[in-house]
Amino acid sequence: MIRIENLHVEIDGKEILKGLDLTLEPGKVHAIMGPNGSGKSTLSYVLAGHESYTVTAGSVSYEGKNLLDMEPEERAALGVFLAFQYPVEIPGVQMSNFLRTAVNAVRRLRDEQELDALAFLKLAREKMKALGVQEDMLKRPVNVGASGGEKKRNEVLQMAMLEPRFAVLDETDSGLDIDALKIVAEGVNQLRNPERTFLVITHYQRLLDYIRPDIVHVLAQGRIVKTGGPELAQQLEAEGYAAFTGEQAA
Amino acid sequence: MRFPKKKRYLPETADMFRYAPRDDIAPWLATAGKAAFDRFAAVGLPSSRLERWKFSNIATILKKYSADPLVYDAVSSDPHVRQGQADAQEAWVRELVDALPPNHEKYGDMALWDLNTASIQDVMVVDIPEDMIVKDPIRLDFAGKDGAFLPARLIIRLGARAQLAVIEHHEGQGAYWRNHVTRIVLGEGARLDHYRIQNDSPAALHLQMTAIDLAARAAYHGFTLTEGASFARHQAEAVLQGAQAHVAFNGINLLKDRQHSDTTLEAEHRAPSCTSSQLLRSVVDDQARGVFQGKVYVDRVAQKTDGYQLSNALLLSEGAEMDTKPELEIYADDVKCSHGATTGQLDSEPLFYLRSRGLSEQEARHLLIEAFVGEVVDQLADESVKTLVTERLARWLKR
Repeated sequence: MIRIENLHVEIDGKEILKGLDLTLEPGKVHAIMGPNGSGKSTLSYVLAGHESYTVTAGSVSYEGKNLLDMEPEERAALGVFLAFQYPVEIPGVQMSNFLRTAVNAVRRLRDEQELDALAFLKLAREKMKALGVQEDMLKRPVNVGASGGEKKRNEVLQMAMLEPRFAVLDETDSGLDIDALKIVAEGVNQLRNPERTFLVITHYQRLLDYIRPDIVHVLAQGRIVKTGGPELAQQLEAEGYAAFTGEQAA
Repeated sequence: MRFPKKKRYLPETADMFRYAPRDDIAPWLATAGKAAFDRFAAVGLPSSRLERWKFSNIATILKKYSADPLVYDAVSSDPHVRQGQADAQEAWVRELVDALPPNHEKYGDMALWDLNTASIQDVMVVDIPEDMIVKDPIRLDFAGKDGAFLPARLIIRLGARAQLAVIEHHEGQGAYWRNHVTRIVLGEGARLDHYRIQNDSPAALHLQMTAIDLAARAAYHGFTLTEGASFARHQAEAVLQGAQAHVAFNGINLLKDRQHSDTTLEAEHRAPSCTSSQLLRSVVDDQARGVFQGKVYVDRVAQKTDGYQLSNALLLSEGAEMDTKPELEIYADDVKCSHGATTGQLDSEPLFYLRSRGLSEQEARHLLIEAFVGEVVDQLADESVKTLVTERLARWLKR
């Protein structure tokens, strides 16, 4: 259970989230839809612990703990995972080295046994096969020279390897053509289970055709302004966000 | 109003030295040594007014080392060059020991070179005949002990098409002063891989001059890991005398505490179609200071020169400093030369990305620092050196 209450967040002195309330139920797929500039990415960065964002008021409780008090790596160990909208390129850091260090860091913090090179490779190959990720990706530097689709698939691979309990997908559909989108969505769907909560953040309904949400929230001007079932996504697609932003539809 | 005259040399520092050869030293060496000492004594040590010593004030450093006034002389210890010692008596060796490097007139900062010649007790000679390809690298250990003045002279000559790898390993205990000269002559089409692992004691003063002459199509691949010494300076100059010669100076600085490390390089293109590159990655922590002065000189005949210089520094603390001075001096019109320098901190976005995947801040920083120097490590041709550098880096990070 994740409970966000009255969350106020600013960056560079500008307030982006203005009293956001949101409760996420375990095992459910929640979607957040909202126009550009409504605070979608800010919410995902704050949940992952990015230091550029300052929380000025409010709380985030994750499985009874205060998430905002934790370092990013502590959140990861407790099962929080952010699939980045723009995965960061890290020249010189080999994917396999990064991924194994990450998996073992998280396993260590969870009091699980670390994976040796062989066990890691076996697991990675298995997950990569399921996601249709080329095996040479492990030898490449993290995200360097990868296409948009490869980067997003790489995010899902990391998610599969780290087995989070709370996964935030920040505009995972952006920059993807329909084939790449299907593959990524299929990867996410394989990870759905009753213990894993998803927060799928998107501008368009398109992604939600492939990752079917249980609950849909509308984020506008830094607040959740409406919550409903999957039909809400279709309504937004048809009518736009104008009703929530106070602007005239184009 | 009169300003005090700023001197480029400090003749008074010559009083710290005395020419005292052993009785049984080879006469030619005694003669060469005396001439070199006289040249040195006339000028003394360079001051920071001398352009290439701008960032490294040797006189100030030496004051810290010397109890007043400490006199250095040729220490009577074996091995040394005696009458009848075959290798070092060869005419070409004598010539090289006696001579200054080809471009000494241009800079005139040969004080330390002369001081080395004046104090030589031992000439180490590596001579590889034409067409000989030496498979395994030769490792040369240069030790250091407290209170010593260490004027080693290493001479490496490769005949045409010969190939060799040499590892200079500098290590020691206590406070000592190394004033090392390595002289390299490469014949046509020869290739030398020259690795320097500078792990001198934290109290040591490390000075080295390396001078390389390259004939046509010869290749020099130099690499230095600077990790040791409290004050270090490596001045390396390659003169590309024949067409299509190639020089690469690569280096990694791992600096901490109050270490000072100066890397002063020059590739002097005197023939057409040669290539040179200089690549230095520095990781500077605490109050340490790194210096990079890189120069590419292109003579008017050296058309189709390709020269490249890059210094990247990562500052890990607020007190850390990096001074860079890339320089181009070009007299030919059909050349491709580039230089660049960056100094910065670890990027916050990759750090956050790694931490969001469960890596601790320290693990994430180490991974990014390894990646930063990785490009230079990856270029190391010798696997044993690559392993050594990787291990040293890991140890440095975990200190």
